[in-house]
Amino acid sequence: MVENALRNNPQKDHGIRFRFQAFLDSVGLVVVLVLLILFFGVKTDHFLTAATFRTIANQVPDAIVIAVGMTLVLIIGGIDLSVGSVLALSGAILGVGLTRLGWSLPVAMGVSLLVGVMCGAVNGAVVIFWNLPSFIVTLGMLEAARGGAYLIARSQTQYIGAVLDRLAVPVMFGLSVSFLFSLLIAAGAQFFLSYTAHGRHLYALGANEESARLSGIPTRRLKFAVFTFAGFLSALAALMYCARLSAANPNDAQGYELQAIAAVVIGGTSLMGGRGSVVNSVLGVLIIKVLENGLYQIGAQLPTQRLVTGAVIVAAVIIDVYRRKWERVSQK
Amino acid sequence: MRVFVKFMFFLCLATLFVSGCGNSPAPSSPENAQTSSSSTTTSKPVVALVMKSLANEFFQTMENGARAHQRAHADEYELIAVGTKDELDVNKQVQLVEQMIAQKANAIVIAPADSKTLVGVCKRAQDAGIVVVNIDNRFDSDALAERQLKIPFVGPDNRKGARLAGEYLAKHLHPGDPVAIIEGVPTTFNAQQRKLGFEDAMQAAGMQIVSSQTANWEMDRASQVVAALITEKPEIKAFLCANDSMALGAVSALRAANRLQDVYVVGFDNISAVQDLLKKGEILATVDQHADQLAVYGIEYALEMIKSGATPEDRETPVDLITAETLGTP
Repeated sequence: MVENALRNNPQKDHGIRFRFQAFLDSVGLVVVLVLLILFFGVKTDHFLTAATFRTIANQVPDAIVIAVGMTLVLIIGGIDLSVGSVLALSGAILGVGLTRLGWSLPVAMGVSLLVGVMCGAVNGAVVIFWNLPSFIVTLGMLEAARGGAYLIARSQTQYIGAVLDRLAVPVMFGLSVSFLFSLLIAAGAQFFLSYTAHGRHLYALGANEESARLSGIPTRRLKFAVFTFAGFLSALAALMYCARLSAANPNDAQGYELQAIAAVVIGGTSLMGGRGSVVNSVLGVLIIKVLENGLYQIGAQLPTQRLVTGAVIVAAVIIDVYRRKWERVSQK
Repeated sequence: MRVFVKFMFFLCLATLFVSGCGNSPAPSSPENAQTSSSSTTTSKPVVALVMKSLANEFFQTMENGARAHQRAHADEYELIAVGTKDELDVNKQVQLVEQMIAQKANAIVIAPADSKTLVGVCKRAQDAGIVVVNIDNRFDSDALAERQLKIPFVGPDNRKGARLAGEYLAKHLHPGDPVAIIEGVPTTFNAQQRKLGFEDAMQAAGMQIVSSQTANWEMDRASQVVAALITEKPEIKAFLCANDSMALGAVSALRAANRLQDVYVVGFDNISAVQDLLKKGEILATVDQHADQLAVYGIEYALEMIKSGATPEDRETPVDLITAETLGTP
């Protein structure tokens, strides 16, 4: 039955060819990444140093974790615009808990994660109960969670000090616990997508929800689970974020949703659903971060950076169009 | 699975309920402020405080200061405090001023989100016989001249404040040392003034400004910019940040790069989150422009103007350097 649903969409085949395609995409992204690194290496004095890569490794964990959640949401044909606000809300609760309320670290972390899960669950529940587009529902959450963050933090930045340093301090090869953990999450999510039945069901759900449902795939439950998980990942990203900056600011992470979508799209995940890979999203995040850091090191001002980043996103999508055309041709 | 779903749904309902309860008594929302004032029929003058970005700690402090002042002088005036959602929501702020004109406020004390765009609507307010006082972000003098408008500015000299911080920093450096400036949103008056103040101090002391980049007032972006700069130009001895959030970001980047001991950071605003860092010496200095008093100065000035009917000159409010010493640490 499930295979039926998959066969309904020959262009979104999930067999060996698909995985091979994803692999080819990865190779392409790695090439782009290497070219970028070489470009900045030539253009600046100190880009090709361990310090640059430590810096990037220090900055990416929260972005990677968010991108993993976003990839899953996009694969099922949804979108989650609330990730940045949920991050800010979880961060605000962590900050206020640790400072004003005097909670212990495990309690503060637990509550903060729980709030993220709840935000995700609300997103998922509203989407499935009223069968609403996730764009609108998560847009609502974007506003609501941001408002919650301001209320809880009383619009103040909370300085949390060194309590979370364990996450952000390098443990091996200059890499932090946050970084290793974010890779572990990405690997886990990729394994789930590629090698478990429910993982494959997500692709079917994104490709054609109706036929997936008729094939006996528990579409509603899966949707709910994906949005809830995305909320959890936003809260996890909040922990990494606050550990990195030793502070929580309710204004934080505005526009994170768009940055995550950009990274995921650069990684070749389709906004229409049914197609995507977590590994490639991680590469997308790395490309954006290398680009950002390189431009900072060149000394490019913010307007230039935004121009370049915007151009890269559009270029990635245009390349994606050709890639899909080529895919279709090669399948005939 | 089904039990899990039910459990999660229950949790959601619980959250909604709890957050709903938390929301209702919020006293600072613009809507509440408006309804409480529109019903007033007393002869006390009504002063409208129009701010930007109530999400910003700075304006929150400003609003709280104004409310405390009004409570202490409840028999002298009524206060309507409103603000926009974020700092760049110019359009919304124009609407807020129009509302205040319609409500026939006696005075409008405004922290303009844009130093040019808001001039037009403030002219309409003056034409309607409303006293207008400019606080926080100074109106563009050309835009005022073009409409032959005179609006007094009551507020701190940001350039002077930044210069104070820069001069204090210079005492810890040697002439010729390379330094970098982390700017706010470059189109805003305060960001420009603070940058100029930092530059004044650094040039006077013979320091070399090797980079000046914006981090849009944001903590995370400042962290990224500083991390990249310290890698590319490891010789930098100090970062002059145009606000404290960016100073926090700079400190986190320097800590990650293990350079906190030999690189100085200065900030601006004296927010509560930097107090510990100032005491520990991780942030060398910041500048307090007394946010809680800024609106109060403007309101007092507006009340004077209502009484006297004259259009007085600009008035400068104090800015103070804050360091570990002024905080009283040994």
